[in-house]
Amino acid sequence: MLAPSLLILVTFVLYPLVRAVWLGQQRCDNFGNNCVSRGFDQYVDMFTSREFQSALGVTVKYALLTVPLGLVLGVGLAVLADKHLRGVGVFRTVFSSTVATSVAVASLMWLFLLQPDVGVLANVGWINELFPSVKDPGWLRDPGTALVAVSMSSVWANLGFTFILVTAGLQGIPRDLHEAAAIDGAGDVRRFWSVTLPMLGPTLLFVVIVLTSRAFQAYGEIELLTQGGPAPYDSTTTVTYFIYGRNSVISGDVGLQATAAVLLFLLLLVLSVLQLSGLGRRVHYGD
Amino acid sequence: MIPRHSASRRIAALALVGAASLLAAACSSGESALESGNERPTTPATSAPPATAEPGATTPAGSAPTTAAPTTTVTPLADLPPCPVDALDGAAGPVELTFWHGMSNELETALIELTDQYNASQDAVVVTLQNQTGYEATIDKYIQSSQSSRPDIVQFPEYTVQLLADSGTVIPIGACIEASGFDTSPILDRILKAYATEGVQWSMPFNVSNPVLYYNKAMFEEAGLDPEAPPLSLEELRATSQAIVDSEAAGYGIALDTGADSGGGWFIEQWFAKGGELYADNGNGRLAPATRVLYDGPAGVELMSYVQQMITDGLAVNVGDNASGQDNFLKMADTVSPAAMTIGTSAALGTVTAVLDGGLIQGITGEDLGVGPMPGPGPGALVGGASLYIVAEKGDEKAAAAWDYIQYLISPESQSQWAAATGYVPIRSDALELEPLATKYVEDPRFKVAYDQLLGTSDDPSAFGPVLGPLREVRAATARGVAEIFNGDDVAEVLSRTAGESNALITSYNERN
Repeated sequence: MLAPSLLILVTFVLYPLVRAVWLGQQRCDNFGNNCVSRGFDQYVDMFTSREFQSALGVTVKYALLTVPLGLVLGVGLAVLADKHLRGVGVFRTVFSSTVATSVAVASLMWLFLLQPDVGVLANVGWINELFPSVKDPGWLRDPGTALVAVSMSSVWANLGFTFILVTAGLQGIPRDLHEAAAIDGAGDVRRFWSVTLPMLGPTLLFVVIVLTSRAFQAYGEIELLTQGGPAPYDSTTTVTYFIYGRNSVISGDVGLQATAAVLLFLLLLVLSVLQLSGLGRRVHYGD
Repeated sequence: MIPRHSASRRIAALALVGAASLLAAACSSGESALESGNERPTTPATSAPPATAEPGATTPAGSAPTTAAPTTTVTPLADLPPCPVDALDGAAGPVELTFWHGMSNELETALIELTDQYNASQDAVVVTLQNQTGYEATIDKYIQSSQSSRPDIVQFPEYTVQLLADSGTVIPIGACIEASGFDTSPILDRILKAYATEGVQWSMPFNVSNPVLYYNKAMFEEAGLDPEAPPLSLEELRATSQAIVDSEAAGYGIALDTGADSGGGWFIEQWFAKGGELYADNGNGRLAPATRVLYDGPAGVELMSYVQQMITDGLAVNVGDNASGQDNFLKMADTVSPAAMTIGTSAALGTVTAVLDGGLIQGITGEDLGVGPMPGPGPGALVGGASLYIVAEKGDEKAAAAWDYIQYLISPESQSQWAAATGYVPIRSDALELEPLATKYVEDPRFKVAYDQLLGTSDDPSAFGPVLGPLREVRAATARGVAEIFNGDDVAEVLSRTAGESNALITSYNERN
């Protein structure tokens, strides 16, 4: 009975992976034919190239900008909405709504919020006074703020996902733990740190791994908001965008694209294992 | 607590070793990724493609030497797939064709209309349209497909000529023209030749556009300028901008962007053509595959210094790399410090007029919008837009049917209808005499500007524009340099470095393809 799933696994996961690793040490024509082997040094050359290093730096920054903030906001909203109040369902619906918003829709919304000439944010008086750069040159055009602006869009778009998972996690915490803590004299803050957070451990670990992996694979928001720019600094060219983006120097070279893609896969693998073994050890599975 | 499995420890340890070795390798050379694997003794860097190539993928065009002498070496059509134009006569039933295109919105509506008319007009061929959601998506999907899952006809943008010529996957349209004795004389020569390299006509132009000047007539009037006389030369552009800024009719004369498909790449190619300068060697890559770009010469330095000075003096405003594709237009609608002019593709004219007529932009009406030729060192324009390719190895009947359908799409009647509905430039002059285009051009002459601009192009070899295998990548590399120049960096230095990067892309392409 294992055969059908094995067939699917081999066809859609194993074969493409092996093929990508093979392709990653080839130089081919733009159609992926006439390949010549360049050896596995191509991986080292790619990893040490200035474009890949720059893209890797941007990706790490992007993950640092999106993951912690997304996590804190998601947990905060979920804890706030985890009350037995009238109308809390409305808030839960609103907070989780971004999970039903595609990256394209979210990005276009932020594009028009941030557009410096006719955009909403740029033409609100107090925002303009507080952050003049939202109007001139515009956050998506300023090399210093472009990545932050893209991260904002991404954090917003991922909030619903985090919110739903954390809400589910919160509802799995037995009430008697809170009651026992309350009887012992623990206030709201103390109970959050000593009961809620430890019991959320497995959920948070999962969310962190998924958000990190999403950050490393972000493509849609970058394509729609900045296309890897603003030029000439490639301030938002992440590794994914470097691999597949239309403005990438390797966009016509499937061999080098495969090289970079396999390197990204290895990096994500290492990162996930580190997260699991590092953070995972501190997670309380509540037995 | 569940005890940690020792297996996961081992994986973690392995992962750490892997990470460490990767980092050890990262004694960052600072070299470009394009240098990867180059200059290794074990690898033949300049050899011809190996014999292990897939047989269907190589044609004589694909293996043409990249170092061919820059003479008019005409690749004989005889070595390329033939076009069996008469095969349709022997077909048993209707031949079914698949057509991948990148047209959306009103452009797609117009293409569907033309195709429905064609399907209804005869019994031999049935064409099915498949929208690929854009040019880039079409290119990606075409490259990723095997020849058997490719369509019978495909629409590709102007910057892919060399890529398709080298791919060995298409029947050159020139073979169909020759075999059927098709009369190309009504087709504007400069439009047709844009899709020819080394004497081979690769594809048939279908939707043609070029960059034009969009300007705000009300601001021109406020600045005391003639709203019907937009600037034509670069000197006039500067003077006009100065008048607008001095009179405070607008914050800036012109909004310029550094997008690869606009101000950072395509417009530079246009300016070179207008100035009669070659953009790449080997006759812009049309006599033999180009080996390097020429824009770092005196002409390029002079041109880009002019643009940089416009920005430094506050006459032009840089709107960045225009990821949205609309930032230059929206700068004209800025309520605080707008620009009075911008340069954009003529293909945007329909959308821009629709937005303005719909009252979506406060303070600017449809009547305020003026359209003029793109200002530059001379008249004329390069052909932009896209053309139609017939895919090879689909059988004689399909090839003949595809040629039949293409002839329908470029007939004077179809081109009149198509140009009037979309704002694209008709590829033939006799389409202008037919309705609905004849009336359209009289009613709104703004739509005729791009056509007139193309007619004004010289016959100089530079006027047909560069064909480079990696033209899209070269544009992206050039655009980064243009952004640096707009930011105030040294023009000659930036152009020289950017040209070096472009040449590395061309060398890499020529080696691989």
